[in-house]
Amino acid sequence: MSISLDRVTKRFGVAFGVEDVTAEIPSGALTAILGPSGAGKSTLLRLIGGLLTPDAGRISIDGEDVTDVDPRHRNIGFCFQSYAPFRHMTVAKNVGYGLRARKRPRAEIAARVTEMLELVRLSDLANRYPAQLSGGELQRMALARALAIEPRVLLLDEPFGALDAQVRGELRTWIKELHDQIHVTTVLVTHDQNEAMEVADCLLVLNDGRIEQAGTPTELYDRPVSEFVLRFLGPSTTFEGTSVRPHDLVVVPAGGGTPAAVTEVATLGFEIRVSLRLDDGTSIWVQSSRAEYDALGVSVGDRVGVQRRPGVSSHLVPPAAAAPTEPDGAPVFGVDEQRPGERGVIDAANLTGRQS
Amino acid sequence: MSVAAPSASRRWPLRIVVLGYLAALVGLPVVYLFVKAFSSGFGAFWHEVSQPGSVGALELSAKIAAVVVPVNTIVGVAAALLLARRRFVGRRFLDLTFDVPIAVSPIIVGVALFFAYAERIGWFGPWLLHRGIMVIFSPLGIALASMAVSLPYVLRSVLPVLIEVGEVQESAARTLGAGPWRRFFTITLPAIRWGVLYGVTLTLARTLGEFGAVLIVSGNIQGKTQTLPIYIYDAWDQNYDALASYAGAVVLALISITALVVLSILRGRERKLHVNIA
Amino acid sequence: MRPLSAVGAVGGATLLVGYLSVVVLIPIAALAAHGLGISIDTHGQGFAFWDWSLHTNFAGFWHTVTQPTALQAIWLSLWLSLGVAALNAVAGIAIAWVLVRDEFPGKGLVEGVIDLPFALPTIVAGIVFLFLYGASSPVHLDLYETRTILFMALLFVTLPFSVRAVQPVLESLDGHAEAAARSLGASGFRTYRTIVLPSLLPAVLSGFGLAFARAIGEVGSLILVAGGLAHTTTASLLIYNLMQGPPSTQVEAASVSVALLVLSLVLLSSSSALSHHFSRRLTA
Repeated sequence: MSISLDRVTKRFGVAFGVEDVTAEIPSGALTAILGPSGAGKSTLLRLIGGLLTPDAGRISIDGEDVTDVDPRHRNIGFCFQSYAPFRHMTVAKNVGYGLRARKRPRAEIAARVTEMLELVRLSDLANRYPAQLSGGELQRMALARALAIEPRVLLLDEPFGALDAQVRGELRTWIKELHDQIHVTTVLVTHDQNEAMEVADCLLVLNDGRIEQAGTPTELYDRPVSEFVLRFLGPSTTFEGTSVRPHDLVVVPAGGGTPAAVTEVATLGFEIRVSLRLDDGTSIWVQSSRAEYDALGVSVGDRVGVQRRPGVSSHLVPPAAAAPTEPDGAPVFGVDEQRPGERGVIDAANLTGRQS
Repeated sequence: MSVAAPSASRRWPLRIVVLGYLAALVGLPVVYLFVKAFSSGFGAFWHEVSQPGSVGALELSAKIAAVVVPVNTIVGVAAALLLARRRFVGRRFLDLTFDVPIAVSPIIVGVALFFAYAERIGWFGPWLLHRGIMVIFSPLGIALASMAVSLPYVLRSVLPVLIEVGEVQESAARTLGAGPWRRFFTITLPAIRWGVLYGVTLTLARTLGEFGAVLIVSGNIQGKTQTLPIYIYDAWDQNYDALASYAGAVVLALISITALVVLSILRGRERKLHVNIA
Repeated sequence: MRPLSAVGAVGGATLLVGYLSVVVLIPIAALAAHGLGISIDTHGQGFAFWDWSLHTNFAGFWHTVTQPTALQAIWLSLWLSLGVAALNAVAGIAIAWVLVRDEFPGKGLVEGVIDLPFALPTIVAGIVFLFLYGASSPVHLDLYETRTILFMALLFVTLPFSVRAVQPVLESLDGHAEAAARSLGASGFRTYRTIVLPSLLPAVLSGFGLAFARAIGEVGSLILVAGGLAHTTTASLLIYNLMQGPPSTQVEAASVSVALLVLSLVLLSSSSALSHHFSRRLTA
């Protein structure tokens, strides 16, 4: 059940929520829409879900144009950031709501509800009320409710936002497992790049209402097409006029590389963050392993050299050299295999790094 | 609230003044009402209450309430939905209009209705007369007057709850396939039920006890257009029948006190609901 | 895209506006028209409204309203309401203080007692006051047909407004500002005067306005105890008396109503504006 967005635009007053967004969201994959606050991610998700109507452009699900279709009839499952539990109903009644709305027979509803509750491991809490559930449990209930109607697409709006770090981590793993089990096309919105990279098969990075880049996490991390994507997806520092990843720089003894002085050393668990000042006054930092740093034997104030790490480097790739694109500039996935002239779709064959 | 109360000896002066004021102003009259009503014994009290005039007044008051409460509840909920969910030109005007009848004297409400619908002098008088509809000096007029003076109660009780609950649950229901009416009855209404009940109780209490507006529009025709408050007034004003007016007053007072109790219970429930919503 | 809900909303809105017109808007307009002598003469031109002429009789309105009886009644209503609102403003602060800052058994009962005058039908209050402070008064206070009893009855009915306006504000004061003032050396009274009262001012003003509006329109509790004397006839009672008469006096009633309406509107919006002014200073 792929989703097709064609030049979708939504304005709020004078400001653009999303502007001229064209993308293909692959069927069966877990796609993350990533971007800073206000980038238009939730807007885009709501457009897909039908809770908002675009001012321009078309939206299709599985080939069917749904732009003018009410969310009731789109057969999508939507999980809200606040979980939107029906507070006056029990968990079981919440999960069964969509089926009751479709007027399914009672026996069928009961069976399906039991099945869903088992899937999300909330069977014990079937007769509790939302007020008695924790954040993580409410999230699972929201998922069960959305999945109960067998949607063709599952949309999740900042699913991990309101939870504490440990629950977030557990839920991330759990959603990944659930997706592997159920294989429904899932689109999730988040502002946390780490979560997106860990969980998603493919990423859509939005900035200011427009798509910056789309592709697999590895592609975007290693070959960002813009400064923004580079900075957004991972740490960066400026060296020799370009932005580089701090772990792609290495500190060498004085005499080699670009001369610099160590200004600060911070131990971050396994890694060391070395802040340096170059002779021309600019500050940069290098991410080094403990072993590497200890081998150097330098401390704050010492003079050292900085150079790029030999081998793989992730540095800014100008769009022309990065990946083949459609004539109108729309990004194409699957950069490892050049398929010019074809609007690329990610499927199991050319996904790198994540085989289902 | 972390303010420590002052020491015991310093509390008493203010306490005595305040409690004394309340006892004299409110406590004394209320106690006296019940004492005087039952002073000739319960039998006499019951005799007065079961007089045809009194029973007729009770019936009329009840019938009026049976019409006014549902109408103003539907109107109040509909207006709350409109004000909470949609932007439109004239929002403020709608909002203000609801408050007009309780901001002005009930007598003025009655006089205004009179000049709109009275048979000869009213704007629509001749038109209504021609169709045989009598508004002023009939139960219809009393119903209109009661609707006017109890207009905003349901709206004001429901609107804040509706705003606080927000639209998320309804959006979720929509994505799950529920149509507008299903959403209203299964999601919206349950969420606002305590607010609705609170407003309904206020409306009922106000309708049963309304005096000033009804005094003008009813014409005070015994047996036909006397509500209970008018009956109480008339019993003394025309007949100096102390016991009759007393008995009626006690019945009304009991109804109002019951309403008060119900309201404070509902306030407690609503507070619990608010804790849930947060 | 959602035709049904759009039609429903428009249809519902129309019904709503229709209902409000019948119950509120048309009557108020009719009142103003009759009170100010506004009439439209179509000169037989049908719907050609540009040929209509609008007549107003402001002179008639003014003449009615400045009659000695009318002036006396309006004046009485005015100072009674102002006095009651003022006294209950002070009493309201004291009562709210005790309710919020003090603890004693039976406090819940006191809360209920505060709400009683609000819940009790006004005619019931009228009956009680009649017998409690009338000819056969058990406390030997015959105040029938005096302005004193009018004052007391109005104190009764406006009490809840004054208390409930101030109470929530008092509840939300957490005492930190007061503690800070004390630590700087301010006495109890000074703290109260310079710290607590100013933060209560907007609420007190708002309560004053509400109490005034309630008092000026009060009828049920006054009609039995006021008797027939001119100097105990409030504006509302005058309007009722005028309505009992022929159409000519009924129109006078409309004029006095309009005057009363304008007066309450002016006072209500002034107290509301003042209240907002002071509350903005507090929260800005």
